[in-house]
Amino acid sequence: MKRALQACCLWSACLLSGCWDRTEINDLAFITGSAFDLTENGDYLLSLQIAIPSSTPGGGIGGGAQHKFFVVSATGKNANDAFEKLQKKSSRKLFTAHRSVIFIGESLGRHGIEGVIDVFAHDPRQRLRTYIMVVKGGQAKKLLETKYPFDQVPTEAVKEMEGQRSEIAVNLRDFFIAASSKGIEPVIGAIEVEPEGNDAEQMGLFKLAGSAVFKKMKMVGKLDERETDGLNWATNHMKDERINAELPGGQGNVGMLVTHAERKITSDASGDRIRFKVLLQGKGVLFENNTRLDVTRPKNIALVKEALENSARTQVTDVLRKLQKQYDADVVGFGQLLRQNKPKQWKAVQNEWDRKFAEAEIAVVVKLNISGAGMAGPPLQLNQQEIQK
Amino acid sequence: MRGKPKPPVVTETEGAADGEWTAALEHNEATIRRIFDDCSDMVFRSAGRAGQARRLVIYISSLVDETIVDDHIIRPLTARGAFPYFGGEEQNGEALESGLVTAGSAKLSSDLNEIVRQLLNGHAIVLQDGERGGLLVKADGVKQRSLEEPSSEPVIRGPRDGFIENISTNMGLLRSRLKTPRLKLESVTIGELSQTQVVLAYIAGIAADSLVEEVRERVGRIRIDGIMDSGYVEEFIEDLPYSPFPQTHSTERPDVVAAELLEGKAAILVDNTPFVLVVPMTFWTGLQASEDYYMRWPVATFVRWIRFLFIFIAIFAPSLYVAVTTFHQEMIPTNLVLSIASAREAVPFPALFEALLMEIVFEALREAGIRLPKQIGQAISIVGALVIGQAAVQAGIISAPVVIIVSITGIATFTIPRYSFASGVRLLRFPMLFLAGTLGLYGIVLGFLCIVLHLASLRSFGVPYLAPLAPIQQSSLKDILVRAPIWAKRRRPQATAAADRIRQPAGQQPGPPYRGNRS
Repeated sequence: MKRALQACCLWSACLLSGCWDRTEINDLAFITGSAFDLTENGDYLLSLQIAIPSSTPGGGIGGGAQHKFFVVSATGKNANDAFEKLQKKSSRKLFTAHRSVIFIGESLGRHGIEGVIDVFAHDPRQRLRTYIMVVKGGQAKKLLETKYPFDQVPTEAVKEMEGQRSEIAVNLRDFFIAASSKGIEPVIGAIEVEPEGNDAEQMGLFKLAGSAVFKKMKMVGKLDERETDGLNWATNHMKDERINAELPGGQGNVGMLVTHAERKITSDASGDRIRFKVLLQGKGVLFENNTRLDVTRPKNIALVKEALENSARTQVTDVLRKLQKQYDADVVGFGQLLRQNKPKQWKAVQNEWDRKFAEAEIAVVVKLNISGAGMAGPPLQLNQQEIQK
Repeated sequence: MRGKPKPPVVTETEGAADGEWTAALEHNEATIRRIFDDCSDMVFRSAGRAGQARRLVIYISSLVDETIVDDHIIRPLTARGAFPYFGGEEQNGEALESGLVTAGSAKLSSDLNEIVRQLLNGHAIVLQDGERGGLLVKADGVKQRSLEEPSSEPVIRGPRDGFIENISTNMGLLRSRLKTPRLKLESVTIGELSQTQVVLAYIAGIAADSLVEEVRERVGRIRIDGIMDSGYVEEFIEDLPYSPFPQTHSTERPDVVAAELLEGKAAILVDNTPFVLVVPMTFWTGLQASEDYYMRWPVATFVRWIRFLFIFIAIFAPSLYVAVTTFHQEMIPTNLVLSIASAREAVPFPALFEALLMEIVFEALREAGIRLPKQIGQAISIVGALVIGQAAVQAGIISAPVVIIVSITGIATFTIPRYSFASGVRLLRFPMLFLAGTLGLYGIVLGFLCIVLHLASLRSFGVPYLAPLAPIQQSSLKDILVRAPIWAKRRRPQATAAADRIRQPAGQQPGPPYRGNRS
């Protein structure tokens, strides 16, 4: 009797817990991307890109590759409402865990995204690792409808592009951390559609197009690619950055690939104005030399180095200035650094940080270390007389 | 036993006791004729000569080698000039033993039970009128198979002889590998009707006395009418009959048995079968092939790890597939999930049913492959590969990933070197599949826990099944996760070797020629 009871308890413990949500894989609709737009009457337009598995490679016999995905849309008062309407349009259960990117239309971004984004933090079926991006100048839905030639589903391509981290790659988790932290404002990547090929094919490319600066869940401004590169270095997110510089005196230009980059920010809040010094250190090799200089010579290297440092400094200074003066958004996190390093001073300024940040004096110092001149010194097409030693 | 009354002990040869053995040849002949009534292979051959007492040679023609009977019994007895005079009873018997019969093994007996038993063992008996004693001459000669490489345990490198159906040949194969008087071969007879000889082999001083005593006791306990294979014995002496894992190691290879005897294990040889049982068996024995010890050790270790990996695949691959595709789609990379989804798009069955179907078909194929006559063996592979594999996928009845998974699982089970162990592992796939199909990964974890708990509590002749890993016995670990070089394995396994644990002296690691003093 006791044994039977024990067995009963054991079985019920086993069987009452666990996963009872069995769903066959072909009863699921895999959402590969979502897009949020603002409608004219202030509702949200949710569009989902859903993969059509039967036409993907390896599936079935002779299934042509006409349609790899389709896009459905619905409007709603909030994300959940719209999602509910979309579920009613779908015979299969919408499955969100494989969504890789969420696109936000620019107009919605400017309007404020707090109305759509909370669902991603509350619903356990959502993944905080999903990338979030702003679609520059247009409806986010258009991007979902773009047919990208490489991947099965276009948003996978976006995911891959983001994964390379050549531009700003922000997922929901990063966004929420930045938005909730003091002394830092979130920035997310931007993307735009670039129509290519003829209309019949409806092929399209999209390209990563800088970034969008947010403040209080509202998009306050955009940064272009060059500015975003600068920002990346300033936020210590840089990886494989290319720097180009004109040599003084019209000698031509040089290009370098920075493979190791480091950033140090020191703060000084003693005076009335807060001062920051941004020290950027980079190490890399010369990749291009459109001058007559023989860059294997130390003298010439120094010349080239100075030009590159100047170019990088302007790049970073420009973006910092823009953030300070134009957007008033501390995307780099100077305030956060101040809070960590000098908590007392931070307490004094934290309530008026926006103003203080705009007034802060930020000096940028770039130190490059050119560790190699590439495979050739001077350009190979030059003869001995043309080369400047 | 659980309180049931013990079955009555039956006399060894049924119906023999009612006869009476006398000095009168007529009477004795009648007795034997009555006992072996209707046995068409009995031969009663008069071998007397005129003027002498009547002699009779009795044997079972199907059990003896008739050339031995002819050359060493009949011919000397009937030869002209051979021992014309017989004296008293004793003298006669001795005369027969020393002079007349020229066979190697001969012995006098006047015990009817023994005579009947030995007749059935392939002896011939020579009786003389007026003598109580009959001379039992060993002349057995049942046709034997020649020594062949065991088909169930082939090796690339290693000895190629295997046990056969004759127990004395088998004992010889062992004895020729272990030429020591310490190799003990204790014989018992089991089976009321089959009278099967069962031999317990061990090396005195290495095998623990308690183990030998336990085996002796368990084997001696068996009461059965007949034993056809060591499998009968195995089922009688197991620790836990309900376990899917075998607790005795059955092998056809004499080198394996000899090596295990050297580790302090005991072997049970059964007549009429090439399969020898070695006890105790552990989980690790199931994953060790004899060739592990004949290959160089890095290779052997690598191969062993491949087996560790594939035993997991053999148990869990189909269930993991089912669990992940029906419960945890978020765990699969996006591109893979889309491929699987597209492959499953036209499939009408749930993934669990699909996997189960293919697993069962695979098992059927395997079984058919074994039972089929060799000549049509190729047909089954064509049917299996083409019809079931390709056609089912093309017709959209089965999805390609399931076929891949089932094939990998099939391959995985064949990497397990011990067949009986592999069968147990194969069996576990099905409960795991059900658990995965109903409870998902949680079910797999449950199943895995159950298997581990079971393995950890299982014992074979008192030795924990997972020893020496659980409980850990550090000095015995050199042959579990790695196969250490032979010179490094100085000690015999702790779990089995009792007293004499040192295999070899230390310091035998080879190296290049050394100049100067060795330290």
